[in-house]
This record gives sequence, structure tokens and C-alpha cells, in this order.
Amino acid sequence: MTASALPSRLSAAPLLLAVTACGAVALWLALDPSLGRLLLEWLPYLARGFAMNILISVLAMALGTLAGIVLGAMELAPVRLVRAAAIAYVQVFRNAPHLVLIFATTYIFPFEIVAFGHYVPFPDWVKAVIGLAIPASAHTAEITRGALQSIPTPQWDAAKGLGFSRIEALRFIILPQCLRRALPPWMNLYASICMGTALASLVGVHELLHAATDASTAVSRTDFTVLTYVTVLFAFFLFCYPVSRLTQRLERRLAR
Amino acid sequence: MQDAIRGFIALAGQVGLNFDFLASPFELRMWLDGMGTTLVLVALTLPLSLAGGVVLAAALTSGRPWLAGPARAYVELTRNTPTLVQLMFTVLVVNMLISQALGGAQNNPFGAYFWLVAVVSLHVAAFHAEALRGGIEAVPAATVEAARGLGFSRLEVLRVVELPLALRTALPAIVNNLVNLVKLTTIGYAVAVNEITYASLMIWTQRDNVVELMIVLLLFFSLINLAVARIGAFVERRLAVPGFGQ
Amino acid sequence: MTASSTPLVALEDVHLSFGANEVLKGIDLTVARGEAVSIIGPSGSGKSTILRCINALLAPSRGRITVNGVRVDALRSEAERIALRKRIGIVFQQYNLFPHLTVLDNITIAPIRILKENRAAAESHARALLERVRLADKVAAYPGQLSGGQQQRVAIARALAMRPDLVLFDEVTSALDPETVGEVLAVIRGLVREGMTSLLVTHEMRFAEEISDKVVFTENGRIVEEGPPAQIFHRSGNPRIRQFVRGLGAREAVQPGEGI
Repeated sequence: MTASALPSRLSAAPLLLAVTACGAVALWLALDPSLGRLLLEWLPYLARGFAMNILISVLAMALGTLAGIVLGAMELAPVRLVRAAAIAYVQVFRNAPHLVLIFATTYIFPFEIVAFGHYVPFPDWVKAVIGLAIPASAHTAEITRGALQSIPTPQWDAAKGLGFSRIEALRFIILPQCLRRALPPWMNLYASICMGTALASLVGVHELLHAATDASTAVSRTDFTVLTYVTVLFAFFLFCYPVSRLTQRLERRLAR
Repeated sequence: MQDAIRGFIALAGQVGLNFDFLASPFELRMWLDGMGTTLVLVALTLPLSLAGGVVLAAALTSGRPWLAGPARAYVELTRNTPTLVQLMFTVLVVNMLISQALGGAQNNPFGAYFWLVAVVSLHVAAFHAEALRGGIEAVPAATVEAARGLGFSRLEVLRVVELPLALRTALPAIVNNLVNLVKLTTIGYAVAVNEITYASLMIWTQRDNVVELMIVLLLFFSLINLAVARIGAFVERRLAVPGFGQ
Repeated sequence: MTASSTPLVALEDVHLSFGANEVLKGIDLTVARGEAVSIIGPSGSGKSTILRCINALLAPSRGRITVNGVRVDALRSEAERIALRKRIGIVFQQYNLFPHLTVLDNITIAPIRILKENRAAAESHARALLERVRLADKVAAYPGQLSGGQQQRVAIARALAMRPDLVLFDEVTSALDPETVGEVLAVIRGLVREGMTSLLVTHEMRFAEEISDKVVFTENGRIVEEGPPAQIFHRSGNPRIRQFVRGLGAREAVQPGEGI
């Protein structure tokens, strides 16, 4: 069997799995209609939980990317102290488990802050956002640094030779290439952060896993517990798998 | 030993850091146990993930749809769902079903610790498998044909030619996966395995010294991952062959 | 019936398709023991496919293939095919050697693991073969440190280490610099002179003419003409063959340094 015959068939495998699993679940629900009713009852609650996961992941990624780009540039700064500080930050927070960082923000930050004489609550989910923004920033810094360093110096020379100023060279020649190289690892980072949002359940944030635990405790039926956790797995899979496929396709396209 | 600890606590106190818990034998022991548990978890899951990765990679590249299909489905499933959710599912659903099948929890030999090791190893194995798959597919077809032409079976070709070459190509990605593996052991917290995060949390909820324990945690994981990266670089140097992959 | 009248290799009406694409459209070919046969022809005419059918790397859709009395097309299990491949040596165009093993290990790995020879015997045989291909000093080198020609010579030594009945050469000099082609051809010439049954797919016309007992011209998956070298290269009645031979000859005539 030649290798070229396989990829199209194998890429259908997860889809096939998803369809088969859906079919199995549908059959199961059909056999026990009360189960189906329960799931439908709890589905809005679970969906709200998942919306929280997505919100946390998007905000953490946004914050982390902004901070990370700055840090990445700092890692290449001519001033030694700036470089050292950035490198130290990146080394420490790239090696730190996401859970530890979420614990850090949850337990270190107060539960409310005083701003201009008013007590503003500092909700748990915001702490989770910051907790995940930290590793996002450290990894983005490395991605940025890698992308900047991968542009060979002849590119700068060629741009200047054509008559671009330094800023123009940056804008039209260098940065577009940086973005191309940075995009796939950045998308992988997003997937990783998105899956990290599940950890927020361990500090009481009302996201999907927490909602699932609530639901299964409330109903306390074995088969419903199974169904709920299968739903949680499904939700993450249906969200992250297309992102993963898109990333792979981009990687192939941009590798040329 | 006690004097050294007291000296350290005093020193830390001067900088404003509260390490009093080190003086309490119970808390010190629990904390050191936590550290030890994390190290044991890493020592167990690291080789298991590698073994699993090789088996999965062999299945993925076998060319047989009945092997490659399920392997691919498993890899995609575990890569695109949070490990914590996989762990909870395994402990709450799979473990419970096994208990029911065996007639009660007392007959079930598998505990949270077992499932933690299994889930983390298998999760990282999927990432190893993808890295190795890329390495195996990068081996030129002619080299594989040359090996088959000599009379090696497909499995022998994998062992003698494809895996050694794939390992060299995939090593950076594998070391990266192993760093993630070390970080992943912390989800043991969710199933009450006394690893270092759990132990630290037990202490700081009593003593309110989160910052101090955080510093230690961050240092701890930085050191372990530094060691992993160093060992990876060492292995890379040992495996390096002149004229290949340069 | 003398032993020499039964061919070592016999292909009868062999057809092979890759999906909808028919690559071999009825190949009849025999190679007698001790004979050197060259297959020439345009790219895509199926030459390499013929070689891979002989050692069961590919399976024909139709036809009979017999090697040393064994019906290759009738082999059902991989174990049977492996047993066949141990008796046939094959050298490819490039990427033959295992880059992670030294030259010595490359040559001895198959005899040790497959033929179960003991290491000392395998290594002394390997050294003797390296002497023969004039690379005795490269015993501990890695393929990445060798030139293309040197790698091909090691590849030939490796094939010979299995003591095959027959060696297949698949365009082994096509990827080499012109300067190193000669050293590889010298090894093959020596092999043929010693009586090794050889089947070569090649573009090296002068070499094919010099060493072959028989030359076969393929085009579009069929054998258009076969005969002694003098006939194919100089007296072919087929204008296509004459054109092809002239084209190859023109390429050979323009060597670096001759000036155009």
C-alpha cells in the first residue's frame, strides 16, 4: 500500500469517530428518553459554562499576545539589563505549570480591590484570565523572538537596497514574514490555553467542567454523569479540532 | 539539620518571607512527600509516554487502516481535549464502571494514582507519536526500500532504520513534550494525589504564605525542566551522526 | 537439459497497474545465469518497476515471474517474499545507505540479523568486500561523510554481503557527478566479469554496450526490442530506438572540459 493513498482516508477517521459517537449517543438517548430530557434541561447551563471557557481563553490570549510581543522584542534588545529581565521572565513562566500560575493569581490577588475609594470585586474568572495570560505571554515572547531571528539579514539589506526606510522595511518586508512564521505556533498556543481553561474549574470558576460536576452531582445518576462528561469532551473536541486542522493546513501552506 | 532549617527561616524572615512551616515536622514531611511524589510521577510517566509514543507511531505509519485509523482517532481525541477533563472522565466514569463490573469499589485495584499515571503518559504519548510520525515519514523511501530489499521485515525496518532516524529528527519536539509532561503532573491535584502543588496548597491555606511557596514551586519546576532540557541536549549530542541532519 | 538453459529470471506477460495507471503492459524477459542484461528506455517506461517486481517489492496484476525456480507472483506471505529478497541484491539510485550506521555496520547489519552470521565472520567478509570496492579505509566512516560515488560502492558491497544469486541495479549512477560515475562502473564491470548475474537499468550507454550480453529497450510499459548490444545500439531497425540512442550518445559526448 503506498503512503499516498492513505492521508485522505485517515483524516476522515476522527470525523468518522465523531459521527459514530454521535450516533451511539443518539441511540442511547432514544432508548432512555428521560436521559435525553435531562441533558436538554442542563444543556443551557453547560453551554454558559463553555462560553466562560471561550471568554477566558480569548482574553488570556489577547493579553498574553500583547505582553508577549513586547517581551519578545525585549529579549532582543541591545540593553543587557532589559534582555536579562525578559529572558528570566520567559524562562521561569514557560516552565511553570498552568495550574500553579492559576493558583498564584487566585490566592495572591485579593478578592476585591480598592479603586478611587470604591470596592471593586475581583472575580475569580478574571484571576484565571491573568493566570493563563502569563504563560501565554512567555510562549508568545519566544514565538516572537524566534520569528524575528529567523528573518535572515540579507532581507534587511535587500529591502534597504530597494529604497525602503527602516520603518517601511519593517512594515512591508519583515513583519509580514514574521507573522507567517509565527502564526502556526501561535495557534497551537491558543489551543493549549483553551484547554488550560478547564483548570479554572479547580479554583471555583463557573466554566464547563465545573458546570458538569454541578450537573452530575445534582442529578446523581450514573448514566447521566457519563453522558455529561462525554458532552464536555465533545464540546472541547468540536471547538479545538477544527482549530487544529486549520493550523495544520496553514502550516503546510506557509512552509513554502 | 534542624539548625540549618531554623537558620534559613530566620534569614527568610529578614527578607519578609514566611517559611515557618519548615519547622513543623508534619508539614515539612508532607511537603517533601509532595516533592517526592512529583519526582516519582515524572520518573514513571516519562518512559511510559515514550514507549506509548513509539507504539502509536508504529501504528500510525503501519500502512494498515485497521491499525492506523484507531491510532489517528485516539491521537486527535487526546490532543484536542483538556487532559484534566480526560482524567476526570477516566476517574469518574471509567473507574466507576470498572468498580461496578467487579462488584464494588473494594474489588477495584486501580486508584487515582494509577489513572493519573495512565492518562498523563497516554496523553503525552500522542504528542510523541505525532513527532515520531513526522520523523518516520521524512526517511527517504529509497532507504526504506533498500532495507526491505536486503530482506528485513516491515517491523525490522521500523526498528533498525526508521525509528533511529525518526528519533534524531524528532528529538527537539520530544524534549518539548517531556517539559509539558512535567508540568502536566500537577493535574494530580484534581484527584487528590499528594504531589507538590497539592502539598503546597495544604500548607498555604493554613499558613497564608502563598508567595513563598509559589517562589519555591516556580524554582522547583524550572530546575526539573532545565534538567530535562539538558538531558535532551546530551542525548542529541550522543546520537548525532556526521553528515546527517546538519 | 543443461542447467544453463533454464533462465535464472523469467518474466512472462507481466502486467502492473498503479490504480488506473497501467505501467507494465505485458513484459516478457529472461535473464540466464551469469548473464548481464541492461534495460534502457525513456523515463516512465516502467524500467524500475520491472526490477521491483523481480524481488517482490511490487506485485504484478497479471503474469508469471520466476526467479531460480520460485514463482514470485505466487508468493502469498511476507515471510516468503523476505526469503526471496535474501537471495537477490538490489542497489538504488540514491539514499541507499543507513545514515546512522558506520560503513561497516551498514554492510554487516543484514548478514548478522537476517542470515544470523556471527559478528566476526560478517565483519571479516565486509572488510574483504570493502577491499574489493576499494574503500577499505572508510570502514569507520558514516555515509554522510562519503561522496555519492563512495556511497554507491558501499551499497554494492552491502548487497554482495548477502551472497545473492542475482544483483539488480536501478540507475545507480544517474544521481552521481560525472567524475564519480567511473569508479562505480568499474566495480560493476568487475562484478559482471566474475560471472554475477546482473540486471541493470541504466542511461550509461557505452557502459551498457561494453558489459551486457543482452540489451532490452522499453517504452510505455512494453519491451520494444531486445538483442545483443551491437544490434540495439548500432543496427536497430526501430527509428525510435535509433533516436533515443543518438540522444543519449549526444549527452555522453558533451563531457565537462571538451568545450562546445
